Amino acid sequence: MRADMQQDRILHTDGLAIGYDSDLITGIGLDVMPGRIVTLIGPNGSGKSTLLKTLTGQLEARGGMNALDKAQNMSMLMTSSVRPRMMTCREVVAMGRYPYTGRFGKLKESDEKTVDHALDLTGSREVADRFFDRISDGQRQRVMLARAICQQPRVLILDEPTSYLDIRYRLDILNTIRTIADRDNVAVVMSLHELEPAMRISDFVVAVGEGRILRSGTPQEVFEESFIRRLYGIEDRDISLLGPGPWMEKTADIHAGIEENGTDTHRTGARAIMIQGTMSGAGKSMIAAGLCRIFTQDGYSVAPFKSQNMALNSYVTSEGLEMGRAQVMQAGCCKREPLVCMNPVLLKPTDDQGSQVIVNGIPVGNMRAAEYFRYKQQLIPEIMSAYEKLSGMADIIVIEGAGSPAELNLKKNDIVNMGLARMTDAPVLLVGDIDRGGVFAQLIGTLELLEPDERARVKGLIVNKFRGDIGLFEDGVRILEEKGHKPVTGVVPYLDIRLEDEDSLSDRFSVRGKKAFDICVIRFPRISNFTDMDVFGQAPDISVRYVDDPDGVGDPDVIILPGTKNTGGDLEWMRQHGLDDAVISYARAGGGGVVIGICGGYQMLGMRISDPEGVESGVTSPGLGLLPVETVMAREKTRTLYTGHIPSWKGVLEDMSGMQVTGYEIHNGITTPAGSDPDYTDAEACVYAPDGTGCCSGNVYGTYIHGIFDEEGVAPRLVSLIAAHKGKDIDVSMMRGHFDESEAMYDKLAAHLRECLDMDSIYEMMGIVRP
Amino acid sequence: MIMDRKRVTIVFILMLVCLAMLVWINAVTGSVSIPPGEVISAVLGRSSDEMWTNIIMNIRLPRMIAAIVLGGCLALSGYLLQTFFDNPIVGPFVLGISSGAKLTVALTLIFLLSKGRNIGSFGMIVSAFAGAMMAMVFVLLISSKTRSMSLLVICGIMIGYICSAITDFVVTFADDSNIVNLHNWSMGSLSGINMTQVTIMSVLALVCLACAVCMSKPISAYRLGQAYAASMGVNIRLLKVMLIVISSLLAASVTAFAGPISFVGIAVPHLVGNTVRTSSPAVMIPSCFLGGAVVTLMCDCIARSIFAPTEVSISSVTAVLLVPVVIRMMLGRRKNAG
Repeated sequence: MRADMQQDRILHTDGLAIGYDSDLITGIGLDVMPGRIVTLIGPNGSGKSTLLKTLTGQLEARGGMNALDKAQNMSMLMTSSVRPRMMTCREVVAMGRYPYTGRFGKLKESDEKTVDHALDLTGSREVADRFFDRISDGQRQRVMLARAICQQPRVLILDEPTSYLDIRYRLDILNTIRTIADRDNVAVVMSLHELEPAMRISDFVVAVGEGRILRSGTPQEVFEESFIRRLYGIEDRDISLLGPGPWMEKTADIHAGIEENGTDTHRTGARAIMIQGTMSGAGKSMIAAGLCRIFTQDGYSVAPFKSQNMALNSYVTSEGLEMGRAQVMQAGCCKREPLVCMNPVLLKPTDDQGSQVIVNGIPVGNMRAAEYFRYKQQLIPEIMSAYEKLSGMADIIVIEGAGSPAELNLKKNDIVNMGLARMTDAPVLLVGDIDRGGVFAQLIGTLELLEPDERARVKGLIVNKFRGDIGLFEDGVRILEEKGHKPVTGVVPYLDIRLEDEDSLSDRFSVRGKKAFDICVIRFPRISNFTDMDVFGQAPDISVRYVDDPDGVGDPDVIILPGTKNTGGDLEWMRQHGLDDAVISYARAGGGGVVIGICGGYQMLGMRISDPEGVESGVTSPGLGLLPVETVMAREKTRTLYTGHIPSWKGVLEDMSGMQVTGYEIHNGITTPAGSDPDYTDAEACVYAPDGTGCCSGNVYGTYIHGIFDEEGVAPRLVSLIAAHKGKDIDVSMMRGHFDESEAMYDKLAAHLRECLDMDSIYEMMGIVRP
Repeated sequence: MIMDRKRVTIVFILMLVCLAMLVWINAVTGSVSIPPGEVISAVLGRSSDEMWTNIIMNIRLPRMIAAIVLGGCLALSGYLLQTFFDNPIVGPFVLGISSGAKLTVALTLIFLLSKGRNIGSFGMIVSAFAGAMMAMVFVLLISSKTRSMSLLVICGIMIGYICSAITDFVVTFADDSNIVNLHNWSMGSLSGINMTQVTIMSVLALVCLACAVCMSKPISAYRLGQAYAASMGVNIRLLKVMLIVISSLLAASVTAFAGPISFVGIAVPHLVGNTVRTSSPAVMIPSCFLGGAVVTLMCDCIARSIFAPTEVSISSVTAVLLVPVVIRMMLGRRKNAG
C-alpha cells in the first residue's frame, strides 16, 4: 500500500536544511500524503516555526529539496499577530478566496458560500461582522483558521493553531482540523505545544530537537515517555505539576508478559482494544471472542468487556448476578469465569418501548427508552469501576461496542461505543459486514459520521464475513485505505461457526424448512434464552423452527415454549394469535405430542399466573392448563446456577429420568402445585420435581432450568426417545454437549482470525511489543 | 465586497456635495467678487466682461483643479504609504519625501535659472520624483532596520529637516530675483498655476489613480501582512515596487507644482477610513482621492481668503486644521492598543 501512496504525496522534502543565518535543522526528509495530519513537536526554539516558514516559502531553504506547489494549493495559519484595521472578520475570511477571484477580487456567490461554510466550521459566525481588531485573541485565531480553510488548499500549514485558545475552542479547532483532513483530503502540517492532543490527532509525528529530526513516526512510535522527557529536557525534573501525559512514568505495574516500553502510559493496568461494528450483527462479538482467545493463547491474561448489552438472553454468574451471554462466551474464550463486571449494564427489552435495566447483575427497574437515555449518565461511574476492577485482573481487555458508533441521534452521553473508547482510552477496530452488502458505505460512511477525535481512535478496519476469493478484494482493500485513511487490519472470510448469540436479531429465526426430526419453538415477541435450543442445531436431520402463527406449527415432533421476559404479555400474545389452542390441541391429540416449557414457557403451561405485586401486568391470567401448577410472580428474582438431575419424568421421556443436568435459573415467579384444581382432571399422572424446578404430566414437561439440554447426552437421548416413539431413525451422533463443543470452536475461531488479521499491528495499537 | 454599502454611498455623495459647494465658493469669492451668474457665463465662454473671464478661466479654475487633483494625489499617496509600511501615522510629508522632492526641485530651479533658462513642468516633475525617490530610499533603509512605527516617523522628520536645511542653504546663496519665487513655492502654494500644468498633473494623477485601483486586490490581501499575502499568491516584490513608485510619483508631482503641503497625506486617509468604516482598498482609494480633494480645496480657499488680499501658505492652513486630527488619531490608537 505504501508504495502506491508515495505517488500521492503532496509535500515532499529531502535533505532539507533550514534556518535564518545558519543551519537550524538539517537533513529534513518529509513525505506528506493527502488527508494525513503531520505534527511537529519539540522544545521552544527547536525550529518548528522555521521549518513551517520554509515549507510555506517565506524562508529560503538553505539546502536540500522542498517540493510543494504554491498559491491555490497551500494555505497557512501563523503565530504572527496581524491586526488590520477596519476590516471585518468576514472580509478577513473572504481574503482566503484570493486565488480564486478575478482582477478586482469580486466574490461570486459560490465564494460567499465557501466563506460562510468556513465561518461556521470554526464557530466564527457570530463575530463575522465585527472588526477583526476588536475581537479576542481566541476569536482571531479561529477567524484566521477560517481564512486558511476558505482558501481550500491541498496542504494546510498551521503554526500553533491552538495558541490563545481555551480548551473548548482548542477542542473545536482540533476537531475542525481533523474533519478537514478526513473529509476534504487535505494534508495538514502543524506544530503543537500540547502533547496530549498531538498524540491523538496526528497520523504522523515529527520530533524536532538538537538541530535535527530526532524521531518521526506514528504517535505510538514517537510518544514514548523516556524519549519525550529527553526531547524536552525534563529527564530528572519533578513533573508532578504537569499531570498525566506522555511525559509520565507508568503509574501502575503491567502484568508480566507485556514489554515495558508501551506508549500510552496513563492507562492504569491493562491494555485495551475495542471492537466496534458498523451495525448490529456485523460480527463484533465473534471478532472480540476470537481476539480474546488469540491473546489468551499468546500467554496474556485477557478479559472481555462490554459496558451495556441489550439482549433478551442473559446468564447468571456464580455470584447469582445476571449478565449478557456474549461476554460469558468471550470469558470462555479467555478461559475465565464469567464475571458481572465484564458486562455491568444489561438491558432486557420487556415490550416495544421499555426495558428492564440490570446494573452490576441486579435489576434496578423497568425504564422507558427516553427515561433510560437520561438515566444512563449516572451509570458511568458504575461502568468505569467495573472496568477498573477488570483491568486490575487482566493484561488485556477486549472491549466490544454495541450497534453502530454513528447512531447520531443517540450519540449524546454515549457509554457504549466511542464514549466508552474515550473513557477507557482504547484503540478501536471498526468491523463491517460485507455479507450484507454495502461494506464500503458501512465503513467509510461510519468514519465520515464520526467526530474527528473519534475518527482518530479508529486504528484499523476489518471486513468481516467475506465469501469467495480474497484475492479479488485487493482493490477493495486499497479503496478502503485510500478513502478511509485507515489501514485495513484484515479481511475475515465467512466462518460458519455457531457461537452464543447475543440477542434475538440472529438468523436462526428465519429457518423454515422441516427436516426428518422437527422441533417447533414458539417465537415469543419477548423470547429470551433461546440458546437453550442451540444444541439441537448440530444434527443435520433436525430442524429447529421458530414459529409465531398457528399455521406454522404443523405437526412437529416436539413443541418447545422457550423463556420469555414477560410471561403474562407473551401468553396474551399467544391467545391473540391462536397459538394457545394450537399448543393445547397438539398436546392433547391422540399420540400425545411432546411439549416442553422452559422457564416462562413452563409458567405458561400451568393453570394460572398471578401477579399480586404487579411485577409484570398485575393481573391474574389463566395458563394453558397443561400442567397442574400455578405461578405467583414475585419481585425478588431467582438467579442460581443449577446442578442436579432430571426428576422422574413420565411419558415418552421417562427414560431420561435421573440424567445429570447443569444449567441456571433466572425467573421472577415461584411455581407450586395447584392442588386439587377442578379444571385439571389428570392429577395423578403429574410429577412435581422435589426441588421445585419443574413438573411433568403426560408428555408435557416444564422446567425452570435453562441449559437443560446442554449437558452431554441429554439432547441426543431426548431426540432418540421421541424419534423411537414416532418410529423414526435420527442420527444424533453429531450432537455434543454444548460446553464441550465450544473449546474446540474457540480455537478454530482463533486460528481463523490469526490467518486473516494483522495481529502484529493489533498488538501495536495496544502498545504491546511482542518479543 | 463586504462593507456597509449604504454608508459608503452616503459618504461619497456628501463628499461630492462638499466639493461642489467649495468649487462654487472658490469661483465666486476672492480679491475680486464675481457675481454667480457671470461665473457660469464665463465658464461657458459667453461672458461680456473679459477681465472676469480671465480671472475665472486663467486664475481660479486652474487653481481649483490643481487643488482638487493635488489634494487627491497627496491623500492617495498617504494611503499607499500607510499600506506599505502598515503604519497609520506616515504620509509623504512626515516621511520626508515631500522635503526630498522640494530639495531637488530647488536645486534644479536655481541651477537652471543661473544659466538663464526656465524650467518646464515636466522637468519639475522629473526632478521632484528624483528627490522623492532619494528620500524614499533612505526611509526604506531605515524601515528595514526597525519595526517601530514612531522611530520610522521620527527618522522621516529628520530627513525632512535635513532636506529643508539644504534647501534653505541653497536659497540663501541664490540670486535675489529668484528668491521671492522660490520662497513662495517652498512654503507651499497653489497660486500661479496655469492650465498647461493642470493638464500635465491631471494626466499623471489619473494614471496613478488607475494603477492604484488596479492594485486594490493585492493591496487588500496585503492588509493581512506580507506572509499571508504571499501565501495567497500575491507577488510581493512587484506590489512593493509599485506602491513605492506610485506613492513617490504622486508626492513628487504635488511638490513639483505646489511645494510641500503638509499633513493631508496622513490625516485624510484616517478621516476617510473612519467615515466609511472599512479599509477595503476598492473603497479607500477613490474615497481618499475625493476626500483629499475636498480638504485641500477647502484649505486653499481658507488660505487665500482668510487674510485677503494677503495669501497665507496652504501648509499653514493644513497644519492648523489637520494636526489636531493626527494627534487625536495617535492618542486614539494608544488607547485601543492599551
